[in-house]
Amino acid sequence: MLAFTVRRFFTALISVWLASLVVFSAIIAVPGDPAEIILGLNASPQARDALRAKLGLDVPAPQRYVTWLAKAVRGDLGESINYQQPVGKLIAARLQVSVPLSIGAALVATLLAIPLGIFAAMRRGTLLDPLITTLSQVGAAVPSFWLGLIFILYFAVQLRVLPAGGFTPFETDPAKWFRSLVLPVLALGLGQAAVMTRMTRAAMLDVLDQDFVRTARAKGVGTGKLVLKHALRNAMVTIVTILGLSLTNVFIGSIVIEQVFALPGMGALALKAIGTRDFPLLQGEILVYAATIVALGFLVDLSYGLLDPRIRYA
Amino acid sequence: MTSSPRTRFAGALFGALALTLALLVGSAFAEDPAPVKGGTFTVAITADPPGWDPTVSTSQEIPRVMYNNVYEGLVSFDRTGAIVPALAESYDLSEDGLTWTFHLRQGVKFHDGSDFDSADVVATFERARDKESGHTHPEYYSAISEIAAPDAYTVVFTLSQPSRGLLYNLARPDSIIYPPEKAETQRSEPIGTGPFKFASYTEGSEVVLERNPDYYREGVPYLDKAVFKIIGDPNTRFAALQAGDIDMIGVALSPEQYLQLADNPELKGTEGTATTEITVAMNNARAPFNDIRVRQAINLAIDKDTIVQGAFFGLGTVIGSHMSPSEPYYIDLSNTYPYDPVRAKELLAEAGYADGFTIHFELPEPYNIERRSGEVVAQMLREVGINVELSVVEWGTWIQRIFLGGDYDMTIIGHSEPRDINVYANPGYYYHYDNPAIGDLLARAEAATSSEAETAAYREIAMVIAEDAVNVWLFSPPYLVAARQNVYGFWQDQPTPAIDVTEVFKTN
Repeated sequence: MLAFTVRRFFTALISVWLASLVVFSAIIAVPGDPAEIILGLNASPQARDALRAKLGLDVPAPQRYVTWLAKAVRGDLGESINYQQPVGKLIAARLQVSVPLSIGAALVATLLAIPLGIFAAMRRGTLLDPLITTLSQVGAAVPSFWLGLIFILYFAVQLRVLPAGGFTPFETDPAKWFRSLVLPVLALGLGQAAVMTRMTRAAMLDVLDQDFVRTARAKGVGTGKLVLKHALRNAMVTIVTILGLSLTNVFIGSIVIEQVFALPGMGALALKAIGTRDFPLLQGEILVYAATIVALGFLVDLSYGLLDPRIRYA
Repeated sequence: MTSSPRTRFAGALFGALALTLALLVGSAFAEDPAPVKGGTFTVAITADPPGWDPTVSTSQEIPRVMYNNVYEGLVSFDRTGAIVPALAESYDLSEDGLTWTFHLRQGVKFHDGSDFDSADVVATFERARDKESGHTHPEYYSAISEIAAPDAYTVVFTLSQPSRGLLYNLARPDSIIYPPEKAETQRSEPIGTGPFKFASYTEGSEVVLERNPDYYREGVPYLDKAVFKIIGDPNTRFAALQAGDIDMIGVALSPEQYLQLADNPELKGTEGTATTEITVAMNNARAPFNDIRVRQAINLAIDKDTIVQGAFFGLGTVIGSHMSPSEPYYIDLSNTYPYDPVRAKELLAEAGYADGFTIHFELPEPYNIERRSGEVVAQMLREVGINVELSVVEWGTWIQRIFLGGDYDMTIIGHSEPRDINVYANPGYYYHYDNPAIGDLLARAEAATSSEAETAAYREIAMVIAEDAVNVWLFSPPYLVAARQNVYGFWQDQPTPAIDVTEVFKTN
């Protein structure tokens, strides 16, 4: 187990480093220079050169990357070209939006999907199963940004019960903070819930069809115990895999939702960084994204061993 | 908008006119009530500004929030674009045009409590004209040879040559004055002299300005607080206005949204002038555009009224040179080359292109209006026998290859810098238009001893480049504002990018 953990950790580090390399190469390959973008069209060449020198853009790109990497390893993500502030500080501020948004959406998805999926699997053959399946099909097909716009039009414009967008930090006003996250969390979570419902249902059906379930039933195990103790435990490996993927989806999907709801999260910052060719900021963002995704995969892998004693690592 | 004699579009034109009129009569011309003191006003902006100091970045997001609200210069633009006294109470210009004397307002305090005096002005402009200082436009002050402060409330600029344009440059956001010893911290902690103090900024979310109780102008500002909310998505911005989360959209309101305002009794809209000219730029150095007859033919082949209809729902002014109706020297030159495809074909034949030719027309990816307009232009050019190959280019590429490199046939872009007609004096600019007469006229404008003489010189530049058909200037999009019914006192024109809230108030 320890060897596995160590090996996974190094693979993860290499993935994150590769991601940063790819992103850096991409951003220097596309034309456009941060100094030009900051100064606009009518800036004088002297001003442009002076700014380039000030931003450290006059050194060759590979050297810039190495300098950045050397600092990053020591935990210093450098300074954003556009904001002229430490990248770490900018990202930390944005995580206060993206983390509750992602966790909230994943919670909504899990709390809805797992009971619904189990329920649909148990009610196979009744009218409820196709109803849930159809609804989840529709839910999976509707893009989250569209759902977000519909929510805004209904809850903010028509009913005026929730804000149309914007974000209030928790420490400013917890009630407003909550209200500003309700619609985005639902818009992001419901789509995921739809996908997860279908997968949970399939995983449960798979298990329910197996011999040991029939044996348990024949032994007279009650339905509740059968589902929770026997079937669910066995379906859990699949469900946890889905949950891991779903968290990743939610984290990435928040980029679009942040735009729709005017939330100052990681996605909005990444888009800005790309538009202004702000490579230290973009690199920092990618680092956080890559690390999060890799970490989620790692946690899912680890949980297999706990959930299913048949799976062991070396 | 000029009315068109062509029947094809008469119906559409009439409809748009009627709608525009209905909107105007219904809202904008309503008599303003007496100002109400106090309250919070919330307005949407589109992106978070890169810091708050307009002298170190040309991002228009910065002055949009800060200009005239937090920061002021010696002089400033008012809502009509006129240059009015601000930190200078008055100024005089010597007979020879070489000495500008500014008499400063007394008793003004910066927001940090320190006193404003001539030493601050001297240090500000010594820094501004220093090319190494990081100021983005040191060339605005290049005519200044010496800055002196004979006493605490007088500043004298001595010029190496007369520069009428200096006063204009002093009104720009680039010339605002803050405590010079705090230059490095303005980016995050702005300190000005304006009617509002910078209160707080929530990263990527909102900027809050608070009333400056010590402001020197009596009676203003009316508001206690102004909140600039950052909402990137246009649909979300509009929904927030409808929901009452915000009071106004003062930037990037689309014509579609503007037309929707008529259906909502809680909202109102205004249509004013802005400084943008949507320009089809031609590489004047490259064949076939190096032949004036070809450029004239292209001008004649384009029906600008139709483009205003198609790209901007009829909201916009057809123009005929590089100036928008917001410029003080504006004249209507839209009839220099009126739509005449028959004459266009004749000119092409005279130039030896009876069978047409092929050109590459590149549209800038981020700009929707330009892309829409460009597609219609391409179709119109095809009708006179020009084979147009359309492509869309990414913004960074556009800046680097087309704008800075000058390597292109034809492109389209909105030029929104105010008073940027001077670029025609620069043969290195991406139009590659080389006419020394423009430089002479600019020099005449700079040396003018009266604003009338200056205006006359600018008009002549506008006429020369229009005659020379350097580019095709399609139209100037209007400045559109959407607000809730109880909001008054906002700028209805945009002579410079600014959401000036000094005189904004809300009833009930």
